[in-house]
Amino acid sequence: MAFKRREAPTVEAVDLNTISPKDTETRIIQGVKKYATNEGNWSRADANTPFLGSIIGMGIESSNLADVTMSIERQFLTRKTNRVPVNGGSEFRLEDGELGKLRILDGQDATAATPGLSVKMLMDLGHMPKDEGYLSGVVSYAYIVAVGDGYRMNDGLKKAVEKVQRLSGAEREEAFMNLKTLIAKAREYVSLLGDIKALAENRRKTYENDRQTVDNLRQELSMIGEKLKGATASGDSGQVATLRSEETSIRSRLKMGEQRYKISEQVVRESAGRKAVEEAKVREISTILSQTITDAQRVA
Amino acid sequence: MLSDVDVRSLRRQERLSAWARWPIYIFLFFSLRLYYGYRFEDMEAFRLSLWKKLDKHQGPIIWAANHLTLIDSFLIFWALVPPSKLSRTKIIPWSTPEYRNYYHLGGPIYKRFIRFLMYACRCIPFLRGGDDEVSIQWRENVYQKCRWILLNGGSVFIFPVAGRSKNGWFDPHRPKDLLGRLAQEVPGVKFLCVYLRGEGQIFRTVYPRRRERFRMVGDLIDGLLPGETNPRMTSQRLFNRLAELQNDWFAGSGLAKNCAGNDVIDLASPHARDIFPPDGDPETIEEVYSRRLTAKETAYLSEFSGEARYRIFWKFIAAKEAAMKALAQSGVMSNFKDLEADLFRRRIVHLPTACEMDIALTVDDAEKVHAICVLRGGYIGDDDHPGDVLWEVRQVPDGAAPSEFARESCLNFIAASSDDIRTPDVLAMTDDGGIPKVLRNGRVCDWGVSLSHSGRFAAYSFMVS
Repeated sequence: MAFKRREAPTVEAVDLNTISPKDTETRIIQGVKKYATNEGNWSRADANTPFLGSIIGMGIESSNLADVTMSIERQFLTRKTNRVPVNGGSEFRLEDGELGKLRILDGQDATAATPGLSVKMLMDLGHMPKDEGYLSGVVSYAYIVAVGDGYRMNDGLKKAVEKVQRLSGAEREEAFMNLKTLIAKAREYVSLLGDIKALAENRRKTYENDRQTVDNLRQELSMIGEKLKGATASGDSGQVATLRSEETSIRSRLKMGEQRYKISEQVVRESAGRKAVEEAKVREISTILSQTITDAQRVA
Repeated sequence: MLSDVDVRSLRRQERLSAWARWPIYIFLFFSLRLYYGYRFEDMEAFRLSLWKKLDKHQGPIIWAANHLTLIDSFLIFWALVPPSKLSRTKIIPWSTPEYRNYYHLGGPIYKRFIRFLMYACRCIPFLRGGDDEVSIQWRENVYQKCRWILLNGGSVFIFPVAGRSKNGWFDPHRPKDLLGRLAQEVPGVKFLCVYLRGEGQIFRTVYPRRRERFRMVGDLIDGLLPGETNPRMTSQRLFNRLAELQNDWFAGSGLAKNCAGNDVIDLASPHARDIFPPDGDPETIEEVYSRRLTAKETAYLSEFSGEARYRIFWKFIAAKEAAMKALAQSGVMSNFKDLEADLFRRRIVHLPTACEMDIALTVDDAEKVHAICVLRGGYIGDDDHPGDVLWEVRQVPDGAAPSEFARESCLNFIAASSDDIRTPDVLAMTDDGGIPKVLRNGRVCDWGVSLSHSGRFAAYSFMVS
């Protein structure tokens, strides 16, 4: 007897130009349900709920981030379907064409850390019209990271307080030292959040690393260029072929490095300004953290 | 043995370089200090401490150092040799740069200029690759030249690991015998060991970044000790000393020394099967690959099917996640497609920087796979050595939050692994930009802590080096 396998329910894809940003956001949240491990946070999720993390996030594991993107691709249709080759190679960019399946290219989803930022990504890539009203309520990637750090710090501080309260003698002393460090760190963080310039400066570390990577790759490329000149002049065809393949590999590494550099540049830029919604998020975590600091100091 | 022609040629080069030492020193000053803006921390103290020993030793010297950029030998020379010591020409080292890297650069004029500069800087071109007779003869000839220079009281500068370090870490577990062999053949030779690195130098690069601030530590040690009967013993001692200097360098640095990561995957979790259905249709599988794997990894996986393919796919993911965590500890953020794993060679490459790291699949059973990755700080371990990463995989009890369980279990594990931490209560978990860190006595411990959870399992690791 042959059984017919039950068919998986098909997701009906919707044209991104026919639905509102809010509906898009709702569909994105529904689409990631199966990857979420924190039911409470997922069911309360809005535009600014991070996909990752369990304290305020939906508890999606990092290995599932690619699935979030794939889930978005499955749910929407776009007019940006026309593949236009770039630099004569295998790379392409998407331009207006027939309505078809949404495709998010490598690296384009790097800062889509929340449903709101995913919608922003779709707008930035031209898959749906820009809606400034909606975007004004979306917390930037830089502030999602900054606020998330604050919540994790708050959680750590609370646990340290519990430990100190529970211990006695030498062990209490040792745990107390940790608590003092955490209080100092948390205080420093609250003041960092309060100072936009300092926060932007603080985010420069990754930016500098990424910039160095790109600079270095450019140097490697120029070095290969010089070697190629030499090898071509001396007519060493074997060496020329080896150098050409090395050059191709460095070019693709450079492309990856530049993508990352663009993101860290964006983080520094976003940290340097603050929208009302970001101000509210910052104020919220600052208040929570300050309260925990006060409680911790009482124990200390 | 060297021919008379070779000896005459070396003598000629030595005379010319002795004459050219002043113009070259001035050129170095202008290019490194004024153009690149390089600075050396505590240079006077460094010079003083080493010259106290160097002044007492008038014999041959082998300069041995870590290798991160193409201009390391110039930087080390400048850091160590003040103008007042340039008159001691025997101490100006001979170098053995790779022939293919320097001797065919640019057009005819540029190439000639570089070749002349290399000649004046006492360079003997070396050919690393190739097993043909010409290449082997070339290498042996260079070795004989180095030996001759040392036997005549001179100095040679040889990087013990040959090329620039692929992960920015000097690894003493893979010694090379060349320097040991030289030391065995030259009576009275000493090793001048130097560890020099810029504070912003995470991986190998062509040049250090502009306005880099360097710190360096060094020592002068015996070339041969009684009882060292083969080159490997001597080389191992040299490598160990350089590794100690590396530890001293990191002790005074803002860079984290221990950078490792771990990751566990629950193979039976509905998530894992949903993401990558073992019997999924080719289109779904291709889509899953395209988001996470490189072309080379995809090609490797295409040789498998069904459950085997499913397991190997998750091994790739575990290895990549572990590598991402190790890189993040050094301040470098990455994603799946930035990394290319070679499960057979147990190596993973961060493509944008070409940094190559060690990986190990530590648990590989029917229910789960667990991987660890080490960027720097210690040894990942092998069949003979347990390595410097301690790790554990445990099942998350029903009702417990996996991330919370991983954090608490990690502290328990650290305390249980240590003789002097009586209870995990004296430790606290904090994080620095999303990277877990452990506090003890109020201080952040450089232990390279990493946490992971997937489905029913939680895993954690830390480094004991």
